[in-house]
Amino acid sequence: MDVELTEILEAICQHAPFNDIAEEALLSEMTKEIEIQYVRAGEWVISPGTLNNTLFFIRSGAIEALSRKDKLIRRMNEGELFGYASLLRGGKSSQSMRAIEDSLLYRIPARWFLKLYEENDTFSDFFELAREVRLRLAMDSQSSDVSLMTCPVMSLLRRQPVSTTADSDILTAAQIMTDKRVSSLLITEQDELIGIVTDRDLRTRALAKGLPFDTPISDIMTPDPIVMDSRDYASEAVLKMMERNVHHLPVIKDNRPIGVVSTGDIVQKESHGSVYLISDIFKQSNIEGLQAISRKMTHTFTQLVVADANTQMIGNAMSHIGTAFVKRLLQLAEDQFGKAPVPYCFVALGSQAREEQIIKTDQDNALILSDKYDESLHGEYFEKLSEWVCQNLDKCGYDLCSGDIMASNPRWRQPISVWKQYFTDWIREPKAEALLRLSIFFDLRGIYGDKTLATKLNRHIRAEAKAHSGFLTFMARNANQRKPPLGFFRQFVLDGEGKQSRTFNLKERGIAPIIDIVRVHALAIGSDKLNTLERLEDIEAEGLLPDGRAKDLALALEMIGMVRIRHQKDQIDAGETPNNHVNPANLSSFEKRHLRDAFDIVSRQQEFIKFRYAGKRS
Amino acid sequence: MTNIELNKDVSFQDWQANFEQWAEEAPEGALKRYYQAGMIKSTTPLKDTPLLALDLETTGLDPKTDEIISLGLIPMTHNAIRCQGARYWMAKPKRDLHAESVTIHEITHAELAEAPRLDSILDEILDALIQQVVVVHCVSIERQFLLEASLKRYGYPLYFPVLDTMDIERQVQHKPWWKRFGKPTSLRLDACRQRYHLPRYKAHHALTDALSSAELLQAQIAYHMNLEADISDYWL
Repeated sequence: MDVELTEILEAICQHAPFNDIAEEALLSEMTKEIEIQYVRAGEWVISPGTLNNTLFFIRSGAIEALSRKDKLIRRMNEGELFGYASLLRGGKSSQSMRAIEDSLLYRIPARWFLKLYEENDTFSDFFELAREVRLRLAMDSQSSDVSLMTCPVMSLLRRQPVSTTADSDILTAAQIMTDKRVSSLLITEQDELIGIVTDRDLRTRALAKGLPFDTPISDIMTPDPIVMDSRDYASEAVLKMMERNVHHLPVIKDNRPIGVVSTGDIVQKESHGSVYLISDIFKQSNIEGLQAISRKMTHTFTQLVVADANTQMIGNAMSHIGTAFVKRLLQLAEDQFGKAPVPYCFVALGSQAREEQIIKTDQDNALILSDKYDESLHGEYFEKLSEWVCQNLDKCGYDLCSGDIMASNPRWRQPISVWKQYFTDWIREPKAEALLRLSIFFDLRGIYGDKTLATKLNRHIRAEAKAHSGFLTFMARNANQRKPPLGFFRQFVLDGEGKQSRTFNLKERGIAPIIDIVRVHALAIGSDKLNTLERLEDIEAEGLLPDGRAKDLALALEMIGMVRIRHQKDQIDAGETPNNHVNPANLSSFEKRHLRDAFDIVSRQQEFIKFRYAGKRS
Repeated sequence: MTNIELNKDVSFQDWQANFEQWAEEAPEGALKRYYQAGMIKSTTPLKDTPLLALDLETTGLDPKTDEIISLGLIPMTHNAIRCQGARYWMAKPKRDLHAESVTIHEITHAELAEAPRLDSILDEILDALIQQVVVVHCVSIERQFLLEASLKRYGYPLYFPVLDTMDIERQVQHKPWWKRFGKPTSLRLDACRQRYHLPRYKAHHALTDALSSAELLQAQIAYHMNLEADISDYWL
């Protein structure tokens, strides 16, 4: 007789993602393998640090998820699922689960979860989405009060905007600011914002220059300032402040200013996380302070991993932090050595330029100088500046580049015309070996100074590369140098040397090949993007690859990247120095299977570019 | 935790010894096999006891004249009810169903007309009961109906040890007479479940009700019983 547990099946089918799975027969099969467990309020379901091999469905009651430090991460009620994060990772649960009410739980075996996750898009999409929501919640639980991720910028406003008109003189303006105790003043014309003046502007643009008190405020204001929309999130305000290096952002609603957010408002709201770290970097006035912050970076990294941030988010956060160090050091350098005699742009190369930095890496940077540069006059200044910045970056944990690709190397500290010539030579007369070393120059981002210099250089690179297919042939050949560690029978091939004999290098054999492949395509279509995923979007839009292949590469990158950051987090937890050497014996079968698939994708795409950019045989 | 003490005098003291004796006496066949397989020691801790929740639906309440029409089983321990082992049988009664019991059970005449006779599935049911301590809500019904069925089929009685969730609840809820006031506490399955915040199920399907008492027992164990205590402290 067919045994149908209708009560259980019906309960499950009422809730997402099961209610979207059309195959009832499949769910009915799954239901038969469920185990039921009653948990009394206050008891553990998953105790701290234990292995989990079950997907839990809350039939009734409520469960809370706690972090390692016993902080509440989220509450879950009837119909919700938990335990999947550790199943996807295949291992220990990073959160512990406790019943806060008497609860009845359905335990669904891991193999059913993994089966549905692989075979059913609706099902897997649900958990992808859940991860984003979880991330937001995890971020919430980290911040003391309100999270910048979820709080609208409007909620940070604490008073009506203080403003005056453009014809006021600077003395009146200063008096208004003093009376109202504000550090910025909005300048309006018929209620519309036309400019902003800050304490600093009054000091540097008026007092220091000895301007008379009756100078109109419009002479010293910043016209058309950068603004936020009232509906924007506070986190966007932070990014804007960092990007533009401003400390006050007027908030606009229906074309009228409704207030100003300052860095102070933001810092008050956020006491943890990468955002805080960045604002802290800009407050340091010496190397010791910056060094102290750099020591917190591993913690920020592990926090992000624990919060299930994906590699893109982590890469983005770590790169922004890295960039903040560079900017602050350059500001300090300029304080010390004086303003630059000619415009220059400090550029990041490689992973930092792609915004894919993981924990600390070597520094790869360069300096583009304006063509007004005259070595006999300005050489000494820029030499001192670069040397000082690179040495101090090293002190902050960004090790000196072993290949000497740094602004401190005079070869990589050149006027833009020389840079253009470098690239023209590399592209028109490519030499495979040299290019192998130079490929990181094709990921180049201006991060401080006159960024138009970097923009111009990038434009030059794109034009040259697109016009010279021979160069792409060389780049494609180089992208085929490093092969994924898969043998003929899909077994993992280990590096087999010395200490690392039981491991393979995920960066060298998985991540770098993908980045190389994508770079070739990006250069071929003249994309101005640097980030690998953004490049892939351009490549997909261009229709360069067969349908779905761009997405495959993105997934492969995420999968391999995820294994890498988890590996590094585990190493940090164990007090080791993080590296890229992964021992497949330490991977779950789930991770192994997906790594194999990812490596397969890499191999196939390497083959593809070999033919796509085959070039002429000589 | 308030551990309940069960009054042992109503029960057989040593099921293991009794099973040995019945195994001698029982006629050849499924019932003899059942007794020969033996029963767990009375000193087995509750946490290691193999439990099997059971419920049956009948045509009425009189074991002499009414008949079993469906039976559901589900294996369990104190922390896992295993759906995979769930079993369900329907049995065609010799007499016609009363109209009223049809509405209670949601089993239709058509369904029952196609079902086998209880006699032909009783062997299978006994095999499933081997070495299990049975979990029921209200022991007298299940025990008496299965006893009658066994006498009819094998000419020899079927006895089996039981954890009765109703009896457990009665003892948990017991108050001296001077503390009782108002409406007496209900011992109906659904009412008991609500006290432990268990969800409400549609009643009167043998397998669902077996599941209901299984979950209730887990809740009672979590609140009132001692996992390390001998099973003889609890079984009837």
